[in-house]
Amino acid sequence: MYKYRAEITKGEEVRYISHLDYAGVIQRAICRAHLPAAYSEGFNPHMKMAFASALAMGVTSDKEYMDFEMARPLNAQEVMDRLNAHLPQGVRILRIKPVREFKNKKKHKSLMAEVDLADYELFMPLEGDWDKAVESVQEFNQLKEYVYHRVTPKKVRDIEIKQYIKDPVKISMSGDRLKLEMSIIITQTGTIKSSDILKILAEEFGLPINPVRALINRKAMYGEGKALIDLV
Amino acid sequence: MIKLTPEILQAIEKPARYTGHEWNAVEKNWDEAKCHFALALPDVYEVGMSNLGLKILYEVLNGRSDTFCERVYAPWIDMEEKMREAGIPLFSLESFNEIKSFDFLGFSLQYEMIYSNVLNMLELAGIPVWTKDRDDNDPFIVGGGPCVYNTEPVCDFFDFFILGEGEEIISEVVDVFVSWRAAGSPGGRQGFLREAARLDGIYVPAFYEPQYDDRGLFSGMKLLDDAAKPVVYKRVIKDMDQVTFVEKPVVPYIDIVHDRIMLELFRGCTRGCRFCQAGTSYRPVRERSKERLRELARKLVDSTGYNEMSLTSLSSADYSCLGEMVDDLFADFEGEKVSFSLPSLRIDSFSIDLAHKMQQVRKSGLTFAPEAGTQRLRDVINKGVTEENLLQAVEAAFKQGWKQVKLYFMMGLPTETDEDIIGIANLAKKVVDKYFEVKGRRGCTVTISVSCFVPKPFTPFQWFGQVPREEFERRQKLLKENIRDKSIKFNYHDARVSVLEGSLARGDRRLSKVIYQAWKDGAKFDGWTDLFKNEVWHEAYEKCGIDITQYNERTRDLEEPLPWEHTSPGVSRAFLRREYDKALQECLTEDCRRGKCSACGVCPALDAKVVDWRAKDV
Repeated sequence: MYKYRAEITKGEEVRYISHLDYAGVIQRAICRAHLPAAYSEGFNPHMKMAFASALAMGVTSDKEYMDFEMARPLNAQEVMDRLNAHLPQGVRILRIKPVREFKNKKKHKSLMAEVDLADYELFMPLEGDWDKAVESVQEFNQLKEYVYHRVTPKKVRDIEIKQYIKDPVKISMSGDRLKLEMSIIITQTGTIKSSDILKILAEEFGLPINPVRALINRKAMYGEGKALIDLV
Repeated sequence: MIKLTPEILQAIEKPARYTGHEWNAVEKNWDEAKCHFALALPDVYEVGMSNLGLKILYEVLNGRSDTFCERVYAPWIDMEEKMREAGIPLFSLESFNEIKSFDFLGFSLQYEMIYSNVLNMLELAGIPVWTKDRDDNDPFIVGGGPCVYNTEPVCDFFDFFILGEGEEIISEVVDVFVSWRAAGSPGGRQGFLREAARLDGIYVPAFYEPQYDDRGLFSGMKLLDDAAKPVVYKRVIKDMDQVTFVEKPVVPYIDIVHDRIMLELFRGCTRGCRFCQAGTSYRPVRERSKERLRELARKLVDSTGYNEMSLTSLSSADYSCLGEMVDDLFADFEGEKVSFSLPSLRIDSFSIDLAHKMQQVRKSGLTFAPEAGTQRLRDVINKGVTEENLLQAVEAAFKQGWKQVKLYFMMGLPTETDEDIIGIANLAKKVVDKYFEVKGRRGCTVTISVSCFVPKPFTPFQWFGQVPREEFERRQKLLKENIRDKSIKFNYHDARVSVLEGSLARGDRRLSKVIYQAWKDGAKFDGWTDLFKNEVWHEAYEKCGIDITQYNERTRDLEEPLPWEHTSPGVSRAFLRREYDKALQECLTEDCRRGKCSACGVCPALDAKVVDWRAKDV
């Protein structure tokens, strides 16, 4: 099998589709492009495809990463051109590289195991005083640790979240919208969502914004300091 | 153009229902078009997007350079609430234009229990729900789909209806509209409707006035305009190979009800089951050639990227070249991981062999529809299937490795007795026993799904009174008590919905105020169990002073004029009467496709012919 890694966008037009539906979009585009996709064995074969990290519904991305396999070797540029011709608005392949195996026959780690950091930018209307906003973010940044009481439909957990935040959260104005930037660490055992940090800032630190009005974008994903596609 | 804020989209379920931009969605320039047509299905996105008829019309209309056609479905209740709060009117999914600014809003009416949603969508669009209240700024409200063979209960909400198959007529309507507009809209809305009414297949209800006798029964239609025909016949496509079919269907981002390619093999079914409205209203049988189907299959896979294809028709196993065509499709798509399925199976071993071939590995379950529990009742409904046929079919299926069988039945069929009800349980038990006989062990599941019979217009059973709710429920209980084997699962329909459907299906124009009242009082998505409000409907009947049993339970006099007879699929009253008599005599009628013509009247009335490729070869 011949493995490729792609750098893809998830744009405004497809902001509100789920991770699973996003994968479906790419699978159907592969079929439309008549690319010789490789399938798993078994009763219910599915296309061999893996993502670095699932992207939540409502979040766009400048750079998503996906590994997929072909049954025949094809020129990476050709795969990219054929796929781009069959992808809907908002989904664009920016780069594709073949995943070369290491000389010592060591296998490449999976994308999910390689990713360790993601950058996010969040835009929303400022609903109060700018100085107050700066102050809340500073207060949050200064803390050494912060335990978040996370309630999901499945379980309730207390998580120390500062371990997942690499640099201080940056605050600025972008036009008439407030902009937050954050770098989030992804480990094998856990991470935190940018939307959760936003919620904490609004609810616990008095950031004068409404989280439901925020638009979130994932700007980049890294492994060992490099863009994931530069690891292959 | 409507803008949806993140605040709204992040607070609702499945926001991708409303955000458009799907693959193959057609995005045109508004200003360049002379006619703007919104196609609606008054149910949620996942249901609306699964409708084949609308996919075809979308392609026909957008195939015209002068026409701008977009989609709209009923917003789910969470979205509706947000739209009302924010003052967002109903909008189209491609350009996000207000629906009110279109020239036409066409509703596909798939079943009666969705009528309340039509009113709700009109209100959300800011369009007056009553036809009489609309003016030049409103679109023409058009209805089509299977419910057009009795539009009377909803016709005060529509400007006109398209009867029958829409591929050709919808374009003729646009032609009339474009010239009427170019001429400066002579005569206003009435002027256009008068022109449209001259086209075959167009029914303009405002040109007809129902008459009632002193008992309050419908006594006939008075024609109010010289453009009104005494009987409007449905439109029918004569050559299925020539007509436009879907080649580039919109591919949704989210999972929909039928999330696969639908390849339509043929239209019509002449098996002649006497309860079945589709069986009379889609006549005659007209097949596509297998060459055309292969060509379409290729185009559809290439344009969508779907890897699943359903070979659809009213009874797909009756397609004359099915065996060869399936072989051809298998050859054409070898190595492409495309799977094929048949939505309905005939009760015979040919069907089992075919199903086996199509589901090489996964054996999900087989569905058969014996419809009634005893031979006597199956003869009444002209089902033409024996217990032996069923047992042979399941035997073949069990031998091929299937373990799950689903059997469809109806309850409340004319002449039904308790013996027929118990017969359903007995038949299911025989299927279970057959598995033991074939396999030497237990282990199959037989699911019996029993719906409540609703008599429909233009069927031989159109005169019969419907069984009351309490009686349906007694029979459901009786059946339940007679199922003693744990391998048999029993599902049944909510009788409360079926009796309401029964009233709307054979209602007359007086029911429009009941529908309006029920909607005003909160009825919507009545086909959805969780949202169905039974009391609201019964209170609406009461508030309007209308006795519901007059419509559902009353057995019609055979000589009585019926309020739907002026919008006809072409079957003659004489034929329906003969079939009614034969039903009571438990006599069968042959399928006219290969057997004797039963003189249903459709071919002469519509100047159409049966197209059966096997018969042509012989």
